[in-house]
Amino acid sequence: MAGHVGSDYERLRPDFRVIPNPYAPGERVLLVPPIRPDLALIHAIAATADGTLLLDHMEDDALLAQASRVVVASAERVVTPAELPAAGEGVVLQGIHVTAVAEAPGGARPTFVRGVYPVDADAIREYVAAARDDASFKAWLDRFVYG
Amino acid sequence: MACAIAREVRDGETVAVGTLAPVPASGVLLAHFTHAPRATVVILNHPDYWPFRGGSREFYDFAQRGRFDLFFLSGGQLDRHGNLNLIAVGDPARPSVRLPGGAGAAMLYYLPRRVIVFRTEHSPRIFVERVDVVTSPGSTPPDVVRPGGPWKTVTPLCVFRFDPGRRALVVESVHPGVTREALQARTGFALDYDPAAGTTPAPTAEELGVLRTRVREAVARTYPRFAAAAFGAQR
Repeated sequence: MAGHVGSDYERLRPDFRVIPNPYAPGERVLLVPPIRPDLALIHAIAATADGTLLLDHMEDDALLAQASRVVVASAERVVTPAELPAAGEGVVLQGIHVTAVAEAPGGARPTFVRGVYPVDADAIREYVAAARDDASFKAWLDRFVYG
Repeated sequence: MACAIAREVRDGETVAVGTLAPVPASGVLLAHFTHAPRATVVILNHPDYWPFRGGSREFYDFAQRGRFDLFFLSGGQLDRHGNLNLIAVGDPARPSVRLPGGAGAAMLYYLPRRVIVFRTEHSPRIFVERVDVVTSPGSTPPDVVRPGGPWKTVTPLCVFRFDPGRRALVVESVHPGVTREALQARTGFALDYDPAAGTTPAPTAEELGVLRTRVREAVARTYPRFAAAAFGAQR
């Protein structure tokens, strides 16, 4: 990576390495090791049965999927391959990257699916308040997860 | 703050605003709607001002190529040497406050030609003598790729200029109604003044008019709560 050298990251993250740039003598650059998740859970605007996904073009879900060993996707709806391009605004990730897909309308709540539903800020505030202590968090789990 | 930021935007430049930055977004749009109509404006999460399709990777790759002329950063702590801390207050192993993390803020302090640091709280806990953790250093050794770096720091009280010779912030202008004594009392390091330091020009009627109409409307697409609260009386 160009730039970056000289921050405290080099002290806090010994796995970040500073090396001489082999292509530009007298210049140092930073190396950052790849992140290789065992599993990625991502939510798509739409999907086809072969795992091809329509994803938010402003987010990094396609990159995450391509980095991960196993990719489990949920989608607002499962459509035919002919319907996918018109299912919303986004970018298409081919099914070869995806291990499994399930239809889960509302699966991103309380966060958003661009063009489908907005972020539920009240629900997030409720979660933040509930997460302050174990008793209220357990009540939140009982209501929204186990209920 | 938005007007001070707008005055730094030059027509024809490529200007980008990152996450959680409604004040820079307002300033850049004010410039775009007035003196900088040919600026290329990039605002993260804005439906009209996000020209990328490949997520943040495409944005970071574009930045790595040195394609941004002006960018904006902030921090939980900022110091006189232009260092930014987005990692932790206190010992990072046992922080008293865990900050959100850099998310590219180190690289993005190097590659854009000019970086404006903004912070809506100007207080001694933010503007410290020395940040506890350096996420983004104000200056670096000469063998590091750094075509750009700190340019100005804009707060509710003043505008600092980053002096590359002294590797330190100097006060360029103090906002109307703020005394030098009050500014020092709200700053955790000894202030240096530019010999030409004066008073920041107050927002003009034209600037306020554009802020409260077109800018408010455009910012609301990404920051609806900010737009509803920040622009004064609804016109």
